[in-house]
Amino acid sequence: MSTALEKFKKYRKPGYYDKFDYHWTMSIDLDRCTGCEACVVACQAENNLPIVGEQQFAMRREIKWIRIERYWEGEYPDIKLQFIPMLCQHCDQAPCEIACPVFATYHNQDGLNTQVYNRCIGTRTCAVYCPYEVRFFNWFTYEWDEPLEQQLNPDVTVREKGVMEKCTFCIQRIRQAKDAAKDDSRRRVRDGEIKPACVQSCPTEAMVFGDLNDPDSQVSKMARNPRGYHVLEELNTTPSIVYLKRVHTDG
Amino acid sequence: MSISVLEALAYFKKPALVVFGGVAGFVVGIWVNSTYFDDATPIQPIEFSHRIHAGENEIPCQYCHVYAARTPVAGVPSVEKCMGCHRSVATDKPEIIKVAQYFADRKPIPWIKVYDVPDFVHFTHKRHIKAGLECATCHGPVDTMDRITRQQPLRMPWCVDCHTSKEVENGRDCWTCHK
Repeated sequence: MSTALEKFKKYRKPGYYDKFDYHWTMSIDLDRCTGCEACVVACQAENNLPIVGEQQFAMRREIKWIRIERYWEGEYPDIKLQFIPMLCQHCDQAPCEIACPVFATYHNQDGLNTQVYNRCIGTRTCAVYCPYEVRFFNWFTYEWDEPLEQQLNPDVTVREKGVMEKCTFCIQRIRQAKDAAKDDSRRRVRDGEIKPACVQSCPTEAMVFGDLNDPDSQVSKMARNPRGYHVLEELNTTPSIVYLKRVHTDG
Repeated sequence: MSISVLEALAYFKKPALVVFGGVAGFVVGIWVNSTYFDDATPIQPIEFSHRIHAGENEIPCQYCHVYAARTPVAGVPSVEKCMGCHRSVATDKPEIIKVAQYFADRKPIPWIKVYDVPDFVHFTHKRHIKAGLECATCHGPVDTMDRITRQQPLRMPWCVDCHTSKEVENGRDCWTCHK
């Protein structure tokens, strides 16, 4: 027990994450986002997300690792519509990681907030702690109708009942790119080599994915943009996703 | 008024026998299952012998399992690959006639997987071979086996032990192997 506690303390020490090989980060330019939900569909296809059905949806049990939140600003007729794609922020100081009693969710060496399905016992504490509400619980073992099971991604587990799940930054693609880098005897993955499903599908290229530890990567440049901000920054979760504020030119 | 213990025991005689018979049957069943239906040594649809192919004829592993060094899966050879040699080699043997029948029917041979990891495990042959591991490290002396027997437990402690002792980069991160 003492060793587990020591590990836990070391793990929560500030500066622990600086040693990471990579620091996967995403930047989302809200000026470019049209709210088309292509990312939502792409994520669904890539990560074997189940369709929960109408009844479960009404009970707010839908599973969408990325969703488009819609905000109206101002009063009619001076009204503006704003979209914010919301997905797991992969916080460096993630509240969900403290919550888990079985260490099923933890921060790995790439700065990813990961969820180990096998370890999860389904207490759902992490979902309660998450201020972004991007963790989803499998209330049932969902099934795919006959031809649809053929399109399941073999690189992603089909989750079962009683397991929490969330955005992984398409870790299977990260793994694949690292594998390719090793084959070419490259030490690091090239910038732009990895594209999560949402980034790949974005028609306006509002999303950029890359390594923040590399100062020359595209995402690092985006992160230095003065429009950049983090969602719910005041909670000190230090999210890995940088949003670029939308600028209304008409005043 | 007295209560006889024997009377009570007589009442339980029948259920006790049933329970005893059940337990005995269960134990015998487990014994029979593990002795004659060992899943580490499944009986394959064709009595293919690795001893003859890899041992006596000294065919390299990757002649048939062509994808081992290139992809995550080693690959079971196609029936066409078998027929590549067996169109002319040992065509009169009963097992080869079976293979020829599969080939004529254009059907794959329903081999039973011996080394199977669960679906939530990401295992890649390519990385392990490029790291310099011999096939025999995990698969044992295949060239002496007529019927393949699973040599390793394929459980997580076994994986982690090796990753730890060989100091694999990020080898103990959950998401290196789990998916």
